[in-house]
Amino acid sequence: MRRVLALALRDLKLELRGKAGLFSALFFLGVVLLILGFALGPEREDLRRAAPGVLWVALAFAGSLLAGRAWAVEVENDTLDDLLLTPGSREWIYWGKFLFLWVLLLAVSVVLLVLVAGMFYLPLERGPAILLTLVLGATGYAAVATFYAGLVVRLSTAQLVLPILVFSVVVPVVLAAVRATTGLAGGAEIAEVVPWWKLLLVFDVIYLTASSLLFPFVIEG
Amino acid sequence: MGEPLLRLEGVWKRFGRDWVLRDVGLSLFPGEVVALLGPNGVGKTTLLRVAATLTRPQRGEVELFGRPARAVEAERAELLFLANPPAFYRHLTGEENLRSALFMGGRGVSAEEVAGALSWAGLPPARPVAAYSSGMRKRLALARIRLMGPRLLLLDEPETALDEAGRELLRQVIAAARERGGVLLATHDREFAGAVADREVVLS
Repeated sequence: MRRVLALALRDLKLELRGKAGLFSALFFLGVVLLILGFALGPEREDLRRAAPGVLWVALAFAGSLLAGRAWAVEVENDTLDDLLLTPGSREWIYWGKFLFLWVLLLAVSVVLLVLVAGMFYLPLERGPAILLTLVLGATGYAAVATFYAGLVVRLSTAQLVLPILVFSVVVPVVLAAVRATTGLAGGAEIAEVVPWWKLLLVFDVIYLTASSLLFPFVIEG
Repeated sequence: MGEPLLRLEGVWKRFGRDWVLRDVGLSLFPGEVVALLGPNGVGKTTLLRVAATLTRPQRGEVELFGRPARAVEAERAELLFLANPPAFYRHLTGEENLRSALFMGGRGVSAEEVAGALSWAGLPPARPVAAYSSGMRKRLALARIRLMGPRLLLLDEPETALDEAGRELLRQVIAAARERGGVLLATHDREFAGAVADREVVLS
Protein backbone atom coordinates (compact mmCIF):
# COMPACT_ATOMS: atom_id res chain seq x y z
CA MET A 1 0.00 0.00 0.00
CA ARG A 2 2.87 2.37 0.80
CA ARG A 3 4.39 1.74 -2.62
CA VAL A 4 1.02 2.43 -4.29
CA LEU A 5 0.76 5.78 -2.51
CA ALA A 6 4.41 6.61 -3.19
CA LEU A 7 4.00 5.87 -6.92
CA ALA A 8 0.83 7.98 -7.19
CA LEU A 9 2.37 10.89 -5.28
CA ARG A 10 5.56 10.77 -7.34
CA ASP A 11 3.56 10.81 -10.59
CA LEU A 12 1.46 13.73 -9.34
CA LYS A 13 4.64 15.62 -8.47
CA LEU A 14 6.03 14.91 -11.96
CA GLU A 15 2.75 15.97 -13.57
CA LEU A 16 2.71 19.27 -11.69
CA ARG A 17 6.37 19.95 -12.47
CA GLY A 18 5.98 18.92 -16.12
CA LYS A 19 2.69 20.86 -16.43
CA ALA A 20 1.97 19.82 -20.04
CA GLY A 21 -0.73 17.18 -19.49
CA LEU A 22 -2.83 18.84 -16.83
CA PHE A 23 -2.69 22.33 -18.31
CA SER A 24 -3.52 21.14 -21.83
CA ALA A 25 -6.54 19.28 -20.41
CA LEU A 26 -7.71 22.39 -18.52
CA PHE A 27 -7.20 24.57 -21.59
CA PHE A 28 -9.13 22.04 -23.68
CA LEU A 29 -11.93 22.08 -21.10
CA GLY A 30 -12.17 25.86 -21.34
CA VAL A 31 -12.40 25.71 -25.13
CA VAL A 32 -15.07 22.97 -25.07
CA LEU A 33 -17.18 24.91 -22.56
CA LEU A 34 -16.90 28.12 -24.56
CA ILE A 35 -17.89 26.43 -27.82
CA LEU A 36 -20.84 24.62 -26.20
CA GLY A 37 -21.88 27.84 -24.47
CA PHE A 38 -21.98 29.74 -27.77
CA ALA A 39 -23.68 26.84 -29.58
CA LEU A 40 -26.47 26.50 -27.00
CA GLY A 41 -27.27 30.22 -26.98
CA PRO A 42 -27.86 32.74 -24.23
CA GLU A 43 -31.19 31.44 -22.90
CA ARG A 44 -30.73 30.53 -19.25
CA GLU A 45 -33.19 27.60 -19.36
CA ASP A 46 -31.55 26.05 -22.47
CA LEU A 47 -28.15 26.24 -20.84
CA ARG A 48 -29.45 24.81 -17.58
CA ARG A 49 -31.13 21.88 -19.36
CA ALA A 50 -27.94 21.07 -21.25
CA ALA A 51 -25.64 21.44 -18.21
CA PRO A 52 -25.44 17.72 -17.18
CA GLY A 53 -24.60 16.68 -20.73
CA VAL A 54 -22.06 19.48 -21.07
CA LEU A 55 -20.45 18.41 -17.81
CA TRP A 56 -19.91 14.84 -18.95
CA VAL A 57 -19.04 15.63 -22.58
CA ALA A 58 -16.33 17.99 -21.37
CA LEU A 59 -15.11 15.50 -18.77
CA ALA A 60 -15.05 12.62 -21.24
CA PHE A 61 -13.01 14.66 -23.74
CA ALA A 62 -10.63 15.98 -21.08
CA GLY A 63 -10.39 12.43 -19.71
CA SER A 64 -9.26 11.16 -23.10
CA LEU A 65 -6.42 13.70 -22.97
CA LEU A 66 -5.48 12.69 -19.45
CA ALA A 67 -5.94 8.92 -19.97
CA GLY A 68 -2.42 8.36 -21.22
CA ARG A 69 -0.74 10.53 -18.57
CA ALA A 70 -0.44 7.63 -16.13
CA TRP A 71 2.07 5.96 -18.44
CA ALA A 72 3.33 8.93 -20.44
CA VAL A 73 5.70 9.85 -17.64
CA GLU A 74 7.40 6.44 -17.94
CA VAL A 75 7.58 6.67 -21.74
CA GLU A 76 8.93 10.24 -21.73
CA ASN A 77 11.66 9.27 -19.27
CA ASP A 78 12.32 5.72 -20.55
CA THR A 79 11.71 4.46 -17.03
CA LEU A 80 9.13 1.77 -17.75
CA ASP A 81 11.74 -1.00 -17.52
CA ASP A 82 12.88 0.18 -14.10
CA LEU A 83 9.30 0.16 -12.87
CA LEU A 84 8.75 -3.36 -14.20
CA LEU A 85 11.92 -4.56 -12.49
CA THR A 86 10.69 -3.60 -9.05
CA PRO A 87 10.23 -6.68 -6.87
CA GLY A 88 6.93 -8.42 -6.26
CA SER A 89 3.78 -8.96 -8.27
CA ARG A 90 2.93 -6.10 -10.59
CA GLU A 91 -0.66 -5.38 -9.49
CA TRP A 92 0.59 -2.61 -7.20
CA ILE A 93 1.85 -0.70 -10.25
CA TYR A 94 -1.68 -0.74 -11.66
CA TRP A 95 -3.12 0.56 -8.38
CA GLY A 96 -0.51 3.32 -8.15
CA LYS A 97 -1.17 4.47 -11.70
CA PHE A 98 -4.94 4.22 -11.19
CA LEU A 99 -4.74 6.34 -8.04
CA PHE A 100 -2.70 8.98 -9.89
CA LEU A 101 -5.20 9.22 -12.77
CA TRP A 102 -8.18 9.12 -10.40
CA VAL A 103 -6.88 12.08 -8.39
CA LEU A 104 -6.10 13.95 -11.61
CA LEU A 105 -9.62 13.32 -12.98
CA LEU A 106 -11.24 14.34 -9.71
CA ALA A 107 -9.26 17.58 -9.61
CA VAL A 108 -10.37 18.35 -13.17
CA SER A 109 -13.95 17.33 -12.27
CA VAL A 110 -14.11 19.83 -9.41
CA VAL A 111 -12.84 22.65 -11.65
CA LEU A 112 -15.32 21.58 -14.31
CA LEU A 113 -18.22 21.46 -11.86
CA VAL A 114 -17.54 25.04 -10.80
CA LEU A 115 -17.21 26.22 -14.41
CA VAL A 116 -20.39 24.46 -15.56
CA ALA A 117 -22.28 25.82 -12.55
CA GLY A 118 -21.12 29.33 -13.46
CA MET A 119 -21.58 29.18 -17.23
CA PHE A 120 -24.51 26.78 -17.60
CA TYR A 121 -26.45 27.46 -14.37
CA LEU A 122 -26.03 23.89 -13.08
CA PRO A 123 -27.74 24.07 -9.66
CA LEU A 124 -25.22 23.49 -6.91
CA GLU A 125 -27.80 22.89 -4.17
CA ARG A 126 -27.28 19.21 -5.02
CA GLY A 127 -23.51 19.73 -5.18
CA PRO A 128 -22.50 16.86 -2.84
CA ALA A 129 -24.71 14.40 -4.73
CA ILE A 130 -23.32 15.57 -8.08
CA LEU A 131 -19.83 15.29 -6.63
CA LEU A 132 -20.57 11.69 -5.60
CA THR A 133 -21.66 10.98 -9.19
CA LEU A 134 -18.43 12.51 -10.44
CA VAL A 135 -16.39 10.35 -8.02
CA LEU A 136 -18.15 7.15 -9.15
CA GLY A 137 -17.83 8.09 -12.82
CA ALA A 138 -14.18 9.09 -12.51
CA THR A 139 -13.42 5.78 -10.75
CA GLY A 140 -14.76 3.68 -13.63
CA TYR A 141 -13.12 5.91 -16.22
CA ALA A 142 -9.73 5.84 -14.47
CA ALA A 143 -9.92 2.06 -13.96
CA VAL A 144 -10.40 1.40 -17.68
CA ALA A 145 -8.07 4.15 -18.90
CA THR A 146 -5.19 3.00 -16.67
CA PHE A 147 -5.54 -0.56 -17.91
CA TYR A 148 -5.72 0.25 -21.62
CA ALA A 149 -3.02 2.92 -21.41
CA GLY A 150 -0.73 0.24 -19.93
CA LEU A 151 -1.74 -2.19 -22.67
CA VAL A 152 -0.79 0.19 -25.50
CA VAL A 153 2.09 1.97 -23.77
CA ARG A 154 4.71 0.53 -26.14
CA LEU A 155 2.76 1.29 -29.33
CA SER A 156 3.80 4.30 -31.39
CA THR A 157 0.10 4.85 -32.13
CA ALA A 158 -0.93 4.74 -28.46
CA GLN A 159 -2.32 8.30 -28.50
CA LEU A 160 -4.65 7.41 -31.37
CA VAL A 161 -5.71 3.97 -30.19
CA LEU A 162 -6.27 4.76 -26.53
CA PRO A 163 -9.43 6.94 -26.76
CA ILE A 164 -11.09 4.39 -29.04
CA LEU A 165 -10.36 1.53 -26.64
CA VAL A 166 -11.37 3.48 -23.55
CA PHE A 167 -14.61 4.94 -24.96
CA SER A 168 -15.75 1.57 -26.29
CA VAL A 169 -15.66 0.11 -22.77
CA VAL A 170 -16.49 3.12 -20.64
CA VAL A 171 -19.75 4.10 -22.40
CA PRO A 172 -22.01 2.47 -19.74
CA VAL A 173 -20.27 4.50 -17.03
CA VAL A 174 -20.69 7.79 -18.90
CA LEU A 175 -24.36 7.06 -19.71
CA ALA A 176 -25.20 6.12 -16.11
CA ALA A 177 -23.36 9.19 -14.83
CA VAL A 178 -25.21 11.50 -17.28
CA ARG A 179 -28.58 10.06 -16.20
CA ALA A 180 -27.74 10.48 -12.53
CA THR A 181 -26.53 14.06 -13.04
CA THR A 182 -29.58 14.93 -15.17
CA GLY A 183 -31.86 13.63 -12.44
CA LEU A 184 -30.05 15.59 -9.74
CA ALA A 185 -29.99 18.80 -11.78
CA GLY A 186 -33.69 18.40 -12.63
CA GLY A 187 -34.69 18.16 -8.97
CA ALA A 188 -35.37 14.41 -8.81
CA GLU A 189 -35.53 12.68 -5.43
CA ILE A 190 -32.29 11.05 -4.30
CA ALA A 191 -34.11 7.68 -4.28
CA GLU A 192 -34.63 8.03 -8.05
CA VAL A 193 -30.88 8.51 -8.59
CA VAL A 194 -29.72 5.71 -6.33
CA PRO A 195 -30.17 2.96 -8.98
CA TRP A 196 -27.78 4.87 -11.28
CA TRP A 197 -25.24 5.15 -8.47
CA LYS A 198 -25.57 1.42 -7.82
CA LEU A 199 -24.99 0.73 -11.50
CA LEU A 200 -21.91 2.96 -11.48
CA LEU A 201 -20.62 1.19 -8.39
CA VAL A 202 -21.06 -2.23 -9.99
CA PHE A 203 -19.17 -1.10 -13.10
CA ASP A 204 -16.42 0.38 -10.94
CA VAL A 205 -15.95 -2.84 -8.98
CA ILE A 206 -15.96 -5.00 -12.13
CA TYR A 207 -13.54 -2.73 -14.02
CA LEU A 208 -11.15 -2.38 -11.08
CA THR A 209 -11.11 -6.10 -10.27
CA ALA A 210 -10.70 -7.29 -13.85
CA SER A 211 -8.11 -4.64 -14.72
CA SER A 212 -5.89 -5.22 -11.70
CA LEU A 213 -5.95 -9.00 -12.20
CA LEU A 214 -5.18 -8.82 -15.93
CA PHE A 215 -2.65 -6.01 -15.70
CA PRO A 216 0.48 -8.07 -14.87
CA PHE A 217 -0.05 -10.10 -18.05
CA VAL A 218 -0.55 -7.15 -20.41
CA ILE A 219 2.29 -4.96 -19.17
CA GLU A 220 5.05 -7.50 -19.93
CA GLY A 221 7.07 -6.79 -23.04
CA MET B 1 31.33 -22.79 -8.20
CA GLY B 2 27.86 -23.40 -6.82
CA GLU B 3 24.52 -22.66 -8.45
CA PRO B 4 24.63 -20.05 -11.23
CA LEU B 5 23.05 -16.67 -10.57
CA LEU B 6 21.97 -16.59 -14.18
CA ARG B 7 21.57 -19.43 -16.67
CA LEU B 8 20.45 -19.12 -20.28
CA GLU B 9 20.14 -22.22 -22.41
CA GLY B 10 19.16 -22.51 -26.06
CA VAL B 11 17.75 -18.97 -26.12
CA TRP B 12 16.21 -17.78 -29.38
CA LYS B 13 14.79 -14.29 -29.74
CA ARG B 14 13.44 -12.54 -32.78
CA PHE B 15 11.93 -9.16 -33.61
CA GLY B 16 9.52 -9.50 -36.50
CA ARG B 17 11.18 -11.92 -38.90
CA ASP B 18 14.74 -11.22 -37.78
CA TRP B 19 16.31 -13.61 -35.32
CA VAL B 20 18.56 -11.56 -33.05
CA LEU B 21 19.57 -14.39 -30.75
CA ARG B 22 20.02 -17.94 -32.04
CA ASP B 23 20.57 -20.77 -29.61
CA VAL B 24 22.49 -18.70 -27.08
CA GLY B 25 23.68 -20.28 -23.84
CA LEU B 26 25.43 -18.62 -20.94
CA SER B 27 25.93 -19.09 -17.21
CA LEU B 28 27.06 -16.56 -14.65
CA PHE B 29 28.33 -17.88 -11.34
CA PRO B 30 28.75 -16.05 -8.02
CA GLY B 31 31.99 -14.09 -7.89
CA GLU B 32 32.18 -13.75 -11.68
CA VAL B 33 32.30 -10.76 -13.99
CA VAL B 34 31.49 -11.75 -17.58
CA ALA B 35 31.87 -9.36 -20.52
CA LEU B 36 29.66 -9.70 -23.61
CA LEU B 37 31.47 -8.54 -26.72
CA GLY B 38 30.46 -8.27 -30.34
CA PRO B 39 29.66 -5.79 -33.09
CA ASN B 40 26.60 -3.51 -33.15
CA GLY B 41 23.31 -5.30 -33.67
CA VAL B 42 24.56 -8.70 -32.65
CA GLY B 43 22.12 -8.91 -29.73
CA LYS B 44 24.11 -7.92 -26.64
CA THR B 45 21.44 -5.56 -25.30
CA THR B 46 18.68 -8.03 -26.19
CA LEU B 47 20.53 -10.74 -24.28
CA LEU B 48 20.78 -8.47 -21.24
CA ARG B 49 17.06 -7.66 -21.48
CA VAL B 50 16.21 -11.35 -21.70
CA ALA B 51 18.41 -11.97 -18.64
CA ALA B 52 16.66 -9.11 -16.82
CA THR B 53 13.23 -10.70 -17.54
CA LEU B 54 12.25 -7.60 -19.52
CA THR B 55 11.87 -9.54 -22.77
CA ARG B 56 10.72 -13.11 -23.19
CA PRO B 57 12.57 -15.29 -25.66
CA GLN B 58 10.61 -17.29 -28.24
CA ARG B 59 12.53 -20.40 -27.26
CA GLY B 60 14.94 -21.50 -24.57
CA GLU B 61 15.30 -21.47 -20.82
CA VAL B 62 16.19 -18.55 -18.58
CA GLU B 63 16.86 -19.05 -14.89
CA LEU B 64 17.69 -16.44 -12.27
CA PHE B 65 18.89 -17.39 -8.81
CA GLY B 66 18.00 -21.00 -9.61
CA ARG B 67 14.38 -20.24 -10.52
CA PRO B 68 12.68 -19.97 -13.92
CA ALA B 69 12.60 -16.31 -15.02
CA ARG B 70 8.79 -16.34 -15.23
CA ALA B 71 8.53 -17.26 -11.55
CA VAL B 72 10.90 -14.53 -10.37
CA GLU B 73 9.06 -11.83 -8.41
CA ALA B 74 10.48 -11.02 -4.97
CA GLU B 75 13.97 -11.91 -6.28
CA ARG B 76 13.88 -8.86 -8.58
CA ALA B 77 15.03 -6.92 -5.51
CA GLU B 78 18.41 -8.66 -6.02
CA LEU B 79 18.62 -7.75 -9.71
CA LEU B 80 19.58 -4.45 -11.27
CA PHE B 81 19.76 -3.68 -14.98
CA LEU B 82 21.54 -0.53 -16.06
CA ALA B 83 20.39 0.48 -19.54
CA ASN B 84 22.40 2.68 -21.86
CA PRO B 85 21.67 5.55 -21.46
CA PRO B 86 20.36 5.11 -17.92
CA ALA B 87 16.77 6.23 -17.36
CA PHE B 88 15.73 8.76 -14.74
CA TYR B 89 12.79 11.11 -14.16
CA ARG B 90 14.00 14.37 -15.69
CA HIS B 91 11.84 16.62 -13.52
CA LEU B 92 13.07 15.06 -10.28
CA THR B 93 16.42 15.87 -8.69
CA GLY B 94 19.17 13.30 -8.40
CA GLU B 95 18.31 12.80 -4.74
CA GLU B 96 14.58 12.40 -5.45
CA ASN B 97 15.32 9.89 -8.20
CA LEU B 98 17.47 7.80 -5.90
CA ARG B 99 15.01 7.88 -3.03
CA SER B 100 12.12 6.95 -5.33
CA ALA B 101 14.01 4.08 -6.99
CA LEU B 102 15.14 2.69 -3.66
CA PHE B 103 11.69 2.90 -2.11
CA MET B 104 10.01 1.23 -5.10
CA GLY B 105 12.77 -1.39 -5.08
CA GLY B 106 11.99 -2.25 -1.48
CA ARG B 107 15.25 -0.86 -0.11
CA GLY B 108 15.04 1.34 2.95
CA VAL B 109 17.94 3.77 3.11
CA SER B 110 18.43 6.91 5.15
CA ALA B 111 18.73 10.44 3.78
CA GLU B 112 22.37 10.40 4.92
CA GLU B 113 23.10 7.28 2.86
CA VAL B 114 21.57 8.88 -0.23
CA ALA B 115 23.52 12.08 0.35
CA GLY B 116 26.67 10.00 0.88
CA ALA B 117 26.17 8.12 -2.39
CA LEU B 118 25.62 11.38 -4.31
CA SER B 119 28.73 12.86 -2.75
CA TRP B 120 30.68 9.68 -3.64
CA ALA B 121 29.52 10.10 -7.25
CA GLY B 122 30.41 13.81 -7.21
CA LEU B 123 26.84 14.93 -7.95
CA PRO B 124 24.80 17.91 -6.69
CA PRO B 125 21.72 16.60 -4.81
CA ALA B 126 19.28 19.41 -5.63
CA ARG B 127 19.71 19.78 -9.39
CA PRO B 128 17.00 18.26 -11.64
CA VAL B 129 18.24 15.36 -13.75
CA ALA B 130 17.13 17.32 -16.84
CA ALA B 131 20.15 19.55 -16.16
CA TYR B 132 22.58 16.60 -15.86
CA SER B 133 25.07 15.76 -18.58
CA SER B 134 25.08 12.18 -19.89
CA GLY B 135 28.17 11.46 -17.78
CA MET B 136 26.42 12.76 -14.67
CA ARG B 137 23.43 10.53 -15.38
CA LYS B 138 25.80 7.57 -15.61
CA ARG B 139 27.30 8.56 -12.27
CA LEU B 140 23.82 8.81 -10.77
CA ALA B 141 23.17 5.27 -12.00
CA LEU B 142 26.38 4.13 -10.30
CA ALA B 143 25.23 5.78 -7.04
CA ARG B 144 21.97 3.88 -7.37
CA ILE B 145 23.78 0.56 -7.86
CA ARG B 146 25.96 1.33 -4.85
CA LEU B 147 22.90 1.96 -2.66
CA MET B 148 20.83 -0.96 -3.94
CA GLY B 149 23.64 -3.50 -3.74
CA PRO B 150 22.18 -6.11 -6.13
CA ARG B 151 23.41 -9.71 -6.26
CA LEU B 152 23.06 -9.79 -10.02
CA LEU B 153 24.16 -6.71 -11.93
CA LEU B 154 23.48 -6.37 -15.66
CA LEU B 155 25.27 -3.47 -17.35
CA ASP B 156 24.80 -2.25 -20.92
CA GLU B 157 27.86 -0.35 -22.13
CA PRO B 158 28.46 1.07 -18.65
CA GLU B 159 31.74 2.81 -19.52
CA THR B 160 30.33 5.12 -22.21
CA ALA B 161 30.04 8.85 -21.36
CA LEU B 162 32.21 8.42 -18.24
CA ASP B 163 35.46 10.33 -17.75
CA GLU B 164 38.46 8.63 -16.10
CA ALA B 165 37.24 9.47 -12.57
CA GLY B 166 33.82 8.10 -13.49
CA ARG B 167 35.41 4.90 -14.80
CA GLU B 168 37.17 4.48 -11.50
CA LEU B 169 33.77 4.71 -9.75
CA LEU B 170 32.46 2.11 -12.19
CA ARG B 171 35.38 -0.23 -11.39
CA GLN B 172 34.57 0.17 -7.68
CA VAL B 173 30.90 -0.65 -8.28
CA ILE B 174 31.78 -3.73 -10.34
CA ALA B 175 34.26 -4.95 -7.71
CA ALA B 176 31.63 -4.55 -4.96
CA ALA B 177 29.01 -6.34 -7.09
CA ARG B 178 31.42 -9.23 -7.66
CA GLU B 179 31.78 -9.59 -3.87
CA ARG B 180 28.00 -9.83 -3.47
CA GLY B 181 27.19 -11.89 -6.55
CA GLY B 182 28.01 -11.50 -10.23
CA VAL B 183 28.12 -9.03 -13.11
CA LEU B 184 27.21 -9.46 -16.77
CA LEU B 185 28.19 -6.46 -18.88
CA ALA B 186 27.97 -5.66 -22.57
CA THR B 187 30.69 -3.48 -24.01
CA HIS B 188 32.57 -2.56 -27.17
CA ASP B 189 35.68 -1.60 -25.22
CA ARG B 190 37.98 -4.65 -25.21
CA GLU B 191 40.52 -2.90 -22.99
CA PHE B 192 37.85 -2.13 -20.38
CA ALA B 193 36.48 -5.67 -20.62
CA GLY B 194 39.97 -7.10 -20.18
CA ALA B 195 40.51 -4.96 -17.08
CA VAL B 196 37.32 -5.82 -15.21
CA ALA B 197 36.04 -9.17 -16.53
CA ASP B 198 37.01 -12.71 -15.60
CA ARG B 199 35.60 -14.11 -18.82
CA GLU B 200 34.66 -12.77 -22.21
CA VAL B 201 31.81 -14.09 -24.33
CA VAL B 202 31.81 -12.99 -27.95
CA LEU B 203 28.46 -12.90 -29.75
CA SER B 204 28.65 -13.23 -33.50
